[in-house]
This record gives sequence, structure tokens and C-alpha cells, in this order.
Amino acid sequence: MTEKIDLDNIPEATVVPEKRMRFSVVWIIPIVAALVAIGIAVQRILSEGPTITIVFKAAEGVEAGKTFVKYNDVNIGEVKTVRLSEDFTKVVVTAKIDKSAEGLIVEDAEFWVEKPRVTLSGVSGISTLLTGNFIGLKMGKSKRPRHNFIGRDVPPAITMDQPGRIFILQADNLGSVGIGSPLYYRRLNVGQVIGYDLAGDGKALHIKIFVNAPYDKYVTNETRFWEASGIDVTMGASGINVDTQSVVSMLVGGIAFETPSLLKELKPADANAAFTLFRNRATAMAEHETVITPYVLYFNESLLGLSVGAPVTYRGLPVGEVTAVGLEYDQAKDFIHPRVDIQLYPARFMAHVKKSAALEEQARSESGRHVFMQKLIDKGVRAQLRSGNILTGQLYVAFDNFRGVPKVKIDWTKTPAELPVMPSGLEDLKTKINDVLARIDKIPLNAIGEDMKKLLAGLDGMVKSVDREVLPELKKTLEALKHVLKSTDATLVGKDAPAQQEMREALQEVRRAAQAVSGLVDYLERNPEALVRGKTQEKSK
Amino acid sequence: MSTGVPTGITSGFVSCEACGLLTKPVNVHEPGHCPRCGGKLELRRHNTIQRTWALIIAAAICYIPANVMPVMVTSTLTSVEEDTIISGAVLLYKYGSWHLALIVLIASVMIPLAKLAALAYLLITVQRNSIKDQRERTRLYRLVEFVGRWSMLDIFVVTFVVALIQLQPLMSVKPGLGSLFFASVVVLTMIAAETFDSRLIWDSSNCKEEQND
Amino acid sequence: MSSSFIEDIVACPGCDLLQRIPVLSPGGKARCPRCGHTMAANKPDSLERTLALTVAAAITLVVANTTPLMGISVVGRHVSTTILGGVLEMWLQGQEITALLVAFCAIVAPTVYIGLMLVILLAVRRSPAPSWAGFLMRMLDLSQPWGMAEVMMLGILVALIKIAEMATLVLGVGIFAVGALIILIAAMMASFDHNEVWTRIRWVDEESQKMIASAELADIEGIRP
Repeated sequence: MTEKIDLDNIPEATVVPEKRMRFSVVWIIPIVAALVAIGIAVQRILSEGPTITIVFKAAEGVEAGKTFVKYNDVNIGEVKTVRLSEDFTKVVVTAKIDKSAEGLIVEDAEFWVEKPRVTLSGVSGISTLLTGNFIGLKMGKSKRPRHNFIGRDVPPAITMDQPGRIFILQADNLGSVGIGSPLYYRRLNVGQVIGYDLAGDGKALHIKIFVNAPYDKYVTNETRFWEASGIDVTMGASGINVDTQSVVSMLVGGIAFETPSLLKELKPADANAAFTLFRNRATAMAEHETVITPYVLYFNESLLGLSVGAPVTYRGLPVGEVTAVGLEYDQAKDFIHPRVDIQLYPARFMAHVKKSAALEEQARSESGRHVFMQKLIDKGVRAQLRSGNILTGQLYVAFDNFRGVPKVKIDWTKTPAELPVMPSGLEDLKTKINDVLARIDKIPLNAIGEDMKKLLAGLDGMVKSVDREVLPELKKTLEALKHVLKSTDATLVGKDAPAQQEMREALQEVRRAAQAVSGLVDYLERNPEALVRGKTQEKSK
Repeated sequence: MSTGVPTGITSGFVSCEACGLLTKPVNVHEPGHCPRCGGKLELRRHNTIQRTWALIIAAAICYIPANVMPVMVTSTLTSVEEDTIISGAVLLYKYGSWHLALIVLIASVMIPLAKLAALAYLLITVQRNSIKDQRERTRLYRLVEFVGRWSMLDIFVVTFVVALIQLQPLMSVKPGLGSLFFASVVVLTMIAAETFDSRLIWDSSNCKEEQND
Repeated sequence: MSSSFIEDIVACPGCDLLQRIPVLSPGGKARCPRCGHTMAANKPDSLERTLALTVAAAITLVVANTTPLMGISVVGRHVSTTILGGVLEMWLQGQEITALLVAFCAIVAPTVYIGLMLVILLAVRRSPAPSWAGFLMRMLDLSQPWGMAEVMMLGILVALIKIAEMATLVLGVGIFAVGALIILIAAMMASFDHNEVWTRIRWVDEESQKMIASAELADIEGIRP
């Protein structure tokens, strides 16, 4: 018998509540996302380099978020903000630098804006036309980091890591030299000017130059520096002189140097050694005079055309130079008269003299020089202003022998001693030339021309029958003319300055010749047949 | 009680558009607010036909300048070029990416036009109480809704080209006015699709049913 | 009809047909018999999953907007941009309205969508959620069609190809983040069950909600088509 199952009493199965997983698999997705995001954020924070501020006077082309900071052509950072300073006079740029370049941001690092620039040494930064301006960095040597900088207006001339040496040149003025002007050695570009400033007392300029290695070893203590700026055109007593170093130096100026060849071996000069900057090569390479004797000359005529540095010559050879041209007030005479200071270099003088052992001895001592000078003055040597160049009117001082001059005693107590002078007679020369020109003007050249034509017609006939009497006469005249011309040539145009009297004599001869010609022409006008027949009226052929 | 297909409107119920709850409207003209989500109840989308027409027309007006005015102005060192959407696609084709040119053409030229045409068609058929092809028309509407946003493609292209190519003086790209008009077309058609009530397509059968009633 | 509202009968949003939603197996879908509109879907573990995806999407959104999308390098110049940078450049170039539209579609709408989703899902964890969650749900549905991250992605790709002819491209983290974001948002939308949320929200009209618990269902004829 089966039991009746009590359906009401069937227990219920226990319900096991569905275990809700705390985390379903889906949550992996956000976890992964979170990890990746954190990873990215951490990486960005770690690679954050320093933020620096640079204050510029002007920052053209620098834009926030666009302009980069570059070192050695490599991007090391980016500009974040650009704004005006509080007083609106400067531009404050903040830039974020890559962590990898952190070590470059030190105390003496320098920043500038690289943009196209035309400078003395050329055009720079052209590439920024394509790439856009950027901020350049020059590394500093310091190890201390720094975050606030003042930017430069111009890029630094050299980078610190270039080998070479700095020297100082002293000059009167800057001339045509500037920062970046090139340096030449044997026409090679070996360095540049990196700076200049006034000496403490304001009387001279110190120009700092940088000579690249290996050329810096050619700078010795005897090296001479001169301005190779532009076209060196000197119009001196000797004519026009053109000298250039290179096309670049013609455009932007420059400095050249050379060591005069001396027999002894020279050591390279120390860094920061000082030299003088000469105006041109000639001045630079001139042997430095060890003995310089100053004198003063009082001329009684116009000094216009005489410049400082004009040569002083003795019989045409250079023995010194003019150091000052001015006026002096003579209290005793209550008069202002022209004064010229000169310097004579006995050594140079001696260099011209051959076989002069005794003279050299004399020249070494001051008293010996005084005696020698007095002797010259006694012999009639005087200083005279002469025209070195008729074109430019340049004058120079010439010492020369003059006849019939009164004796003068040099007063050696005055410093500088005064030497006697001779008036130049240049004024007379000018009047004479004018006279000749006036006379030539008076000659009726047109009429002569007409007559010449008639003459030539007659001559034609004459040539057919040779006149023995006329030709020899002609020959003689021609010889005489030739002679005159030769001597005129020598005295007017020669290398040596002509004596003033010889010039006068020559001019007188010219005057006479002109008179003779005019006389002849007069005669011929009246007696044209004289050419054929001759003045003696001998029978014609 | 109708003997036809039961719809909300004929049964006197209004379906909340936001949460789907069927409620009895307070009255036909002012159904009230949904008790579940609080949203305003509307039997059909408010003023749907007028609004949709207005938006379509506005979009059509913008469509002309959108394609005629340049969307991008490219300035190089030597030249300044203006590009409309079509000329940009032509350029893409010329440079060999014909697939891109096709994508741009479809997305930027054809789709907006197709959207306008489709919406106009839907409106017209609804206004004429047509009962044909209701299922297809509803599908068409869903397609319009879905595809509409892709016309914004060209706007994004311009945005990012402009953002990246700012390399004065070598080359720089500026957006042109055409991009504004084009964006307006897309936005207006998207709103138009939202103002159109697709239930209207089926409402015409209700009317017919009631007529038969 | 005695009740003023019905909970288990719905009208199709596409064609207004009244219908009941049958019980669905996990992963199952129900469509309107007349117009084919998807009426309901059984999305297993919807709330949990969607929440996880939303959190991931939020993180990815932040990354996508803060890291550069890509950079180009040409003649020594480097430019890179983020999504915001693109918007900014449009603004600076004078196209302010377009910039705002792009910003809305590419940044604001997705952010709003993800943000709202996050808040709603967190709110419904403690059922019943307060009624403002319902308001947020409405906002969510409004913002959804305007998030155009995937259109932007394609746009970026086309732009890249246009640029690649003339410059070298460097893809940034941002672009991958955008790609991931698109996938996550799509997954969010797929796993989100509206109805599930609505059942857990406190009704605005609480009285009515209480009534429903013991209400009789309306007797409507001819529901089955």
C-alpha cells in the first residue's frame, strides 16, 4: 500500500540566491583604461622638464604653443606663453624645456631669438624663413641651474666650445669694424670681432677679437693688426693706392694681421694680449721707430692740403711724418700763425744712406743728431711745403737744399726744436700757370688754323722741291725743340720733385718759344712765300 | 472602440516619448505630464509638419552656399587656393585617393541632399495621407535619423587640417565660410529628423480605418 | 478602463501600435510587428556592465581630450593638436559658430552623455532612485544622437591622409584614445537597457506608482495582432 503523499507537506527546495559577483568580468575594461591613463599621466609628469622665463626686448615671431627652443638645431623645449612685462616695455616668454635638456639651463646660459638678420659678417638665420623663428640657446659653463633669464638682442658671436684665443686691439675709433667683422690672416678668414668697449679713460677703444684655432698660434707678440676695412683708398702724396682684403671685407669691413718676417723664432702670444690696431697695412708693417725726434715748423702760408700723417721727405726720400697741423698764438708778436709738428725718424733716414758707419755712430746719440741737423741747416737745408698731388691738392713737407739762404741757429732748448722753413712759392706757380694760359688764349688759333691750311697747300708744293737751306734750319729748330721738351719732361713730370727754379726756367722757355712762334706767324702772315724762299730771300727752285 | 489595429491615439492613450509609459491624457489638447518621468506628454510631436518643413527649407537654402563657397583656403608662398567641398574631393581624386574622394562626396554632398529629399518625400506622403509603403517609409525615416550625422565628416576634416597646417609663410590653411553653411545644413536636417513624427505615417491608416468604420 | 496608465502595454514609438512585451530570454529582442521598431531587448547584467563601460569611457574621454591627437613635422617645424586645439584654431580663424558646433558634437555631447550615464547608473544602484534621475534620463536620450565621436574619427583619418602627402605624421596617444572611446560608447549603448532603469526610478507622481503595484490591468481588446 502506497502512502498518500501529502502534497501540502512537500518541503520546498531552498532557494540559493544567485550569487551576484562583486565584480563581473566587464570591470576589467575600466580597470585597464584607468591603468593606461595613469601610465600616460605619470609618464608625462616624469618627463616634465623645467619651466623657464626669458625676458626679451622684442620677440618677433615667437608664438605661444608654436615656437620652439633649440640648442644645436635640436628642439629642446617649447614656448608656452608670451606676454608683456608689467611696465609694457619688455616681452616675457615662458617656455617648457624637455627633461632631457635640463642640464643646459644653467646660470650663464644665454637665449636669443633666431630670425633672419643682416649683420656685419653676413646674413644669418635665413632658415627661419622656412622653419619659423625659434629661440636659440648658448650653453653656459656653470653648473648651477637657473630659471629666469634675460634674453639677448643679438645672437652671441661665438659658441663657447670653439677652440681659439681672445686678443685685445687698441684703436682710436671703431672705423668700419663692428661685432662680427671678420679677421683675416693671409686672406683666410680666421676669426671675428666679438666685442668692443671704451677704455676706462675714454681715450681709446678696446676691440675684442677671437681667433679660431689653429690660427691663433700665428699671433705672436710682434704681430701687427690693421683695418682691412672696405676698399683701402689712400690718396697720398704718392698717388692713389687701392688695397682690399676680400669682397666680404669690402662690404662689411674687417681686420687683417701679419707678423713681419723677423729672423728670430717667436712664441705665440698669450690670450688677451693687447695690440694696436693700425689704419692700414703700410702703417702697421712700418718698422717701429725706436728713435723719434720731434720738430716744429712755422709756415707763413696756407696749410690747406697738409694732413696729419703726410710724409716728410729729404730730397724726395721719406724721413718722417707730420704729426700735427694747427695754429699757434705768438704772444710776443700778438699774432696767430700756422704751426706744423713733424716727427723725424733718424733710423729711417739712416736706412737711405749708404756707407754711413760714421753717421750711424753720430745718429745714435742725441747730441750727435743735433750736430748733424745743425750741419744740414748750415748747408742750406730748409723745410718747404710742396704739392704732392695736383689733383687732390695734397701737400707734404720736403726738406731740401736751397741756395742763398741766411744762416740759422737751431735753438735746442725749445722742445720741440724749430727748424727753418722756405716759402713754397706755390702761389707764384699758380699765377704763372694762369699767365701762360691767358697767353695761349690770346693766340689766334683759329686764324692760325686757316693760315696753316694755306701753308700746307704751299708746303705740298715745297716738299716737291727740297730746299737745302730750309730743311737744315728746320732740323736745328727741331733738335732744339726736342732738347727743350726732354728737359721739360724731366723737370715737370719726373719722379723727383722738380726744383722750383727749373720749373720757372722751363716756363720762361715756353714763353719765349710761344713768342717766337707768334713772331714767325706774324711774319708768315705778311710773307707767306718766306717758307718757300726762306727769310734770306734766296732764289727759289 | 475601433475594430482595427489598436494604436495609442485611437485608444485614448498617450505614450510618453521619454520613458514609454502609456497614460491617459488629461485632454486631447493638453495631455499633461508623464507621472513616471515628469516629461511633457504629446500625442504627436508638436507642430511636426510645419516645423519639419521650415527646417528642411532652411537647410536647402544653406545647401547652395555650402557647396558654392569655399570650405578651405590654402595659402602657400606662391599662391592662394580656395577649395569647395566638391573641388576638395576632386583634388583627392586627382592625387590618387579616389576612395577618400568617394567617401567625401557621398558624405558631404549626397547624404545631405538625400536627407532633404527623403524628409520632403516623407512630409508630402504624410500630408497626402498616403497608406502605401508605410513600413518602407518608416524604415526610410530610421535610415535618415541614423545616417544624418555622418555628413559632419567634412567639417571635422576641415577642422583638423586647419589646426595642423599653420606653417606660415610656407603653407597655411584657413576655414572658409562654406564650412559654416555646411555645418548648418547638417544640424538643421538633424533637428528636422527629430521634429518629424514617424507615427504620422501610420496615422493615415487610422483615418482610413475610421472612415471605414 | 479603471487605470490611467498601463505599465506592461506599450505603444510603438514608430507607429503607435499598442502591444505587450513578452518575456525575453537573455540577449533576446522584441520588435514591433507592424513597423519593425525595436521595442525591447533583454540585456543581461545591463546596469553593471554599462557602468563599467561608462567608467572606462570617462577615463578614455579625459585622455582623448588632453593628449595630442597627432603631430606633423615638415621642414623642421612641428605642430601638434588636441581636439580642443582644433576647435580653438577654428575660433581663432574667425569661424566661431562652426567652432562651437564642432565643440558641441565632438566634446560636449559625448561628455554629457557619459556623465549623465554615470550619474544615472550610480543613482539606480540604490533602487528606487530619486526622481531627478528620470529627468537625467530624458537628457541622456536628447544628447545621444549628437555625440559624433566616430564621425570625428573618420574626419581625422581623412585629414591625416590629406596631410600625409606633404609632411611626416606622428600619431599621438589622443587618436588611439578616440578610437577606444568610440568602441566604448558603442558598447555602452548596446548594453544599456532603458526599461531596466525606468523600473527602478521613483516616479515623479509617487501616488500613481503605488497604485500600479496593486492595479488591475486595463482590459483592452484585440491586443494581439
